[in-house]
Order: sequence, then C-alpha cells, then structure tokens
Amino acid sequence: MKFHWFNLMPWPYLPDDFTEKHRSVWVDVDSRLFDPVKANRIYNDYLDLLELAEDVGYDGLGINEHHQNAYGMMPSPQLMAATLARRTHKAAILLLGQSLALYDPPTRVAEEMAMIDCISGGRLISGFPVGSSMDDNYACGVNPATLREKYHEAHDLVRRAWSDPDVFAWNGKHYKLRYVNLWPRPIQSPPPIWIPGGGSVETWDFCAEHDYNYSYLSFQGYVRGAQLMEGFWRRMEELKCDFNPYQAAFAQQICVAETDAEAKRLYEKHARYFFSRCLHVYPGYADAPGYRTEATIRAGLVSQMAGQSSALNQAAALSWEEMIEKGFIVAGSPDSVAEQINKVATSLRVGHLVCLLHFGDMPNDLCQHSTRMFAEKVIPQMRGLWQGHEDRWSPKPMPLADRAVPREVTMPTSANEPTPRRVAEVGR
Amino acid sequence: MKLATMKVGPENREVFYYRAGSGQPLLYLHSMLGLQGFAPALARLAESFDVIAPFAPGWGPAKDQLPDVDEGPLDLTLHQCDILDRLGLARAHVVGVSIGAWMAAELAAIEPMRVERLVLVNPLGLWLDRADGEDPFAQHPGFPSAVLFGDPDGRKKHLFDGRDKVDAHVEELLNLRASAKFLWPIPDTGVKRRLPRIKAPTLVATSELDAIVPAIYGPAWRDAIANARLATLAKAGHLADLEQPEAFATLVREFLHDAAIAAVA
Repeated sequence: MKFHWFNLMPWPYLPDDFTEKHRSVWVDVDSRLFDPVKANRIYNDYLDLLELAEDVGYDGLGINEHHQNAYGMMPSPQLMAATLARRTHKAAILLLGQSLALYDPPTRVAEEMAMIDCISGGRLISGFPVGSSMDDNYACGVNPATLREKYHEAHDLVRRAWSDPDVFAWNGKHYKLRYVNLWPRPIQSPPPIWIPGGGSVETWDFCAEHDYNYSYLSFQGYVRGAQLMEGFWRRMEELKCDFNPYQAAFAQQICVAETDAEAKRLYEKHARYFFSRCLHVYPGYADAPGYRTEATIRAGLVSQMAGQSSALNQAAALSWEEMIEKGFIVAGSPDSVAEQINKVATSLRVGHLVCLLHFGDMPNDLCQHSTRMFAEKVIPQMRGLWQGHEDRWSPKPMPLADRAVPREVTMPTSANEPTPRRVAEVGR
Repeated sequence: MKLATMKVGPENREVFYYRAGSGQPLLYLHSMLGLQGFAPALARLAESFDVIAPFAPGWGPAKDQLPDVDEGPLDLTLHQCDILDRLGLARAHVVGVSIGAWMAAELAAIEPMRVERLVLVNPLGLWLDRADGEDPFAQHPGFPSAVLFGDPDGRKKHLFDGRDKVDAHVEELLNLRASAKFLWPIPDTGVKRRLPRIKAPTLVATSELDAIVPAIYGPAWRDAIANARLATLAKAGHLADLEQPEAFATLVREFLHDAAIAAVA
C-alpha cells in the first residue's frame, strides 16, 4: 500500500465570524482577508511540510489546483511541483492536477509537466481533473456547456503531444494548432495518469478505457465513499478490467496523537476550521448548469430525494465522535488510526491513500507531529496490504545514481552579509 | 396541443414545435427555460396569429442537439431561416422572450427582409457594466430558475405542477445548460454591433420584476434599433409570458396589429 502526503494549502487566518459575515470561501471571497506578508510564511511552511514528508517516508507529495479561494492557495500547482522537483529526490510528485480545459493551448500543460518530469528525474504523476465548477466555470470563465468536450479534446491533444515524435497538425473543435511539436518531452512515456473525480460514471469508463488511476476526492467521509467505490469496482468488472487496488486512490483527512483523547484535544478545532470555514461555498457557485452530465444530475437528484445531503460542509454540524464514526476524519492513537485506515483501505479497496495530514488552520509544528507519528507508527502496520498486486500507477524514475544533483541551497543570514552560509548551519 | 416534428435544413435537423391559429405567421422564440407546453400566452396569440413555437436546438426534446450549433448567432439564425423555409414562409412576425429575444434580434439583423415586425421581451445579449442584474447561472442548484420568476412560487407553479419532480428538475437544468452555452459567462453576444441592421418595426418590453434584465436595458435596446419603441410589463419577472400571459399577449397583439406603424424603413 502507498501513502501520499497531500496539502490543500488553506488560508489559516479566516476570522471566527467568517461563515456569518461572508457568503463564500470561493470565487467572491473577500480578498482583503488575504495578507501577502503572512503568505510568505505560510507558503514556506507548507512547502517545508511537503519536503519533510519525503524525509519521513511518504511515497508521494500531493498538490492540486484551485482558483480564487481561501480553501487553498495553489492556483498553480506546477509552481509547487517545480520547487519540489528541485528540493526532493525520492518521492513521487503527485500533481493532482491540472484542469485541462483551463489552458489554451492545452499543450502548455504537456510542456510544463514534461519540464517537471525532466527536472525531477521522472517522478511526476500527472493528474487530469475536470476541475471544480467554482474554479473552471466561475473563477476562470470556462463555459459549462462545453467544458467536458474541451476537457476530452485537451486530454487527447496532451497525450498525442507527449507521444508523437513528429510535428502534427491538430484540427480540433476547440483547439486548432497548425504545428504541434513538444519540446521538452517527459522522461516517462507517459507519466502515470490519475483522474481525480467525484463519482460520475463517465469518469469511471474513461479510467477503464485508458487504464488510468481513479482518485476519489470527497469530503463526504469514507463510510459513504465506500458505497461509491463499490460502484466503481462493479463498473470496472463490467468493463472486464482486472481488479488492481492500485488503480484507485482515496483522499482522507487524518490526524494522529498519543491517545484518542489527545487527538481530540489537539486537532478538533483545526478540523472544525476546515469543515466549516474552508468548505463554506455559496451553493450558487457549486454546480454551474451543464457542469454535470445529465446522468450524474439524475443520479444526484434521486439520492437527494432519498435523504442524502450533498452539501459540501455537512460535517461542520457533527460532533468529533460523529466525524470519526462517519469517516469524515480518521483520528486517534496510532493503533486506532491504523484500525481506521485498514477499514478505509479494505472497504474502498484502494492501494493509494492520499493523506490529508494538514487541514484547516493546523500550525506547522502540530502537523509535523502528526505527519511523523503516522509515518513511524501507522504506515509500517499497513505497508504489506495489497501485496501481490503490481502498482502500474506510480512513477518509474531514473536510477538515483544517474540523476543530476541540485546545488546545495545557501542563504544569507542578513541582507547585507557578503558570503552566504549553508542552510544546515542556519538551522530552522 | 400536440408537439409536432419536422426536419429542416441541409442537415435534416429535427424540430419539435407547436403550431396553432390562423392569420399572419408569428415565429415565437422561447426563453431560457424552453417551452412549458402550449402555454396560455401561446394560446392567446393563436387567437389572432398563425403561431409557430419551436424548441431551439439544445432545449427540451432537442437537448441532444446542443453540440450541433456554435456559440455564436450564425447557426441559430440559419436554423430559424430553415424553419421558415420548410414552412414556406418568406416573412413572419418574430416574437422572442429572454434568450429567445436575442435569437429574434439576430434573425432580424442578419436576415432583415424576413422579419415583418419584431418583439423583444426581456432580451438578453447586451451587457451594461452599470446594470446590477442577477447572474442567472450562479443560483442555488436546488432551485436554479427561481430567480427568473417575479412570484416566489413561480418556479413550482410553472415548471413542476403535475410533473415528475426529477424529470422536471433535470429538464430545468438542461435548459439552463443550453442557455449557458450562448450566454456564459457574461451575456454579451456581440449583437450590439448588428442591431442597426434591423429594419423591422420593433417593440422592446421589460418586466417590472425582472431580476436578470433590469429595466435599464430597455432603453439600451430601443436606442440601438432604428425603429423601436419601449413598453413595460407589470407584475412579471423575467419570464413574463408565463407569469402574465394575458398582458403579454395583449401587448404583442396590439403592437403587431398597430396600423399606425410605418412599414419597412
């Protein structure tokens, strides 16, 4: 089983009365709540955490793309991937990912991913989400009626640009390029492709057709997630795809402490910050007309009528114990977390766990604590799960011995010091 | 009234339409929500005119035709011409509501000789930075078209009465999807440059309670069209034809029959 450390990079300074005073954390969030000077610290803290995750043994470092929101600070995950490509050397760079329909020409995505794959020595996982309605339709202005057409065309174009060694003309419906000729090209041909999705049947078929990893990203909890993944695996069986747990990933909020009680004391307030403030999305921005396909709309309406809530922030009203019981969060002592993770992995039958060990306004040192405990005391208990299945969805990097070694990082101790010192000497 | 079908144009595109009444032909181009059956406003108009009311490609039973037309005005306008050709009509009055008023204005601008008189009710397609209309596409997905009605119960009354709830809701969302194709993210279709080409005497009407197209748009349309006058519909939201069918039909009929209006300018 593989474990990836993932950070949404939330803005941690939303005021206590945020949900009463503001209608949305996304799209029209009040920009006066952002402070670029604080962002200097926050970005660097978050990147430090990603780098630490490699040191303590996580298999991948996860980042993704969102626009105009305090839920995350990563409009450009490629920039995060670029710095990780230089400052890490083992872990996969899980870029989950680039919303293809936002880029015109989409060959830009193919180029940037190729650059990251080259710089990192072949460690890129390329995620191709459709993207949320808040991002694609409202923040970036992409027409919801043609979003999926554009997404699929961009996907086909990127795949061909990565693989066709000759110059070719692309005469698509949405993109027309007389000369496509990618330079640079990725080391991996192609990098493993993961498709983050929220549960539409069309996405499952797409993953089956192309042998892609399906990454279920949801904040509805793994208990409900298991029902959905059951549908995914059933569909894969119908389409005659052999079961392989590594073809699926699931994102889960996780926190670890010495005891269950300590976990509640340390992390509850940060979980609440996430579920109430970070997911406070104005419903009018959640689902532009045409964003979902007819089949998905119909299925969604039927389940709503059966009493299932579709609200993003439904966990905000729950007690800590209920959050754990329904699987919105996995929390507790290392042993109780291992037991819950075992439940996640075996009930959803996923080989890749995308671990959201940072959430809400969790401070850096506390997150380091949880990150280390999970790596040292939980991962070893779970490593052996899914032995015997081949993971075809992780990168195949160049051998370490053949790879370029980045110059050691130096930094001045003061603005006018002439000779920089090594970072190790400066300390943290 | 039964929905009829016919095939039009070189692509043999299927058209789902209502036709009733007798008199001068009147092509009726529907709102963002398509047609709610042969609604009372159409029945009223059919007392005085030969009313032809098609679903545009992408709406209602024609939902799967949405990818067949481009976002701009050309494909839709050619499609309306194909309908007139198929019915053997050289000219017709054209009445459009909401997004249908945009389509009607495009037809009258691109093919001015085919439009006898033109009625634009709560037209979309122009954009004024100073007008603070609601975004019809940023509404709660549980009741996405409520904002189109002046009456708080309008959505329920006009879309859901006697229908399967899931079917009606899906159709509502798909009709909004079709509208979004042409109006996303800002309903500025470029029609402004073409409006001076319109030759037909034109009536522009805005609704008192329209949250999408505030009254300030009325003069903007009127002033851009050579031979246009302005009217207001009371106690109606964006979908004035559904909410005030009597007043709507009376306004249209009186304008189309007004002998004092000069013919082609």
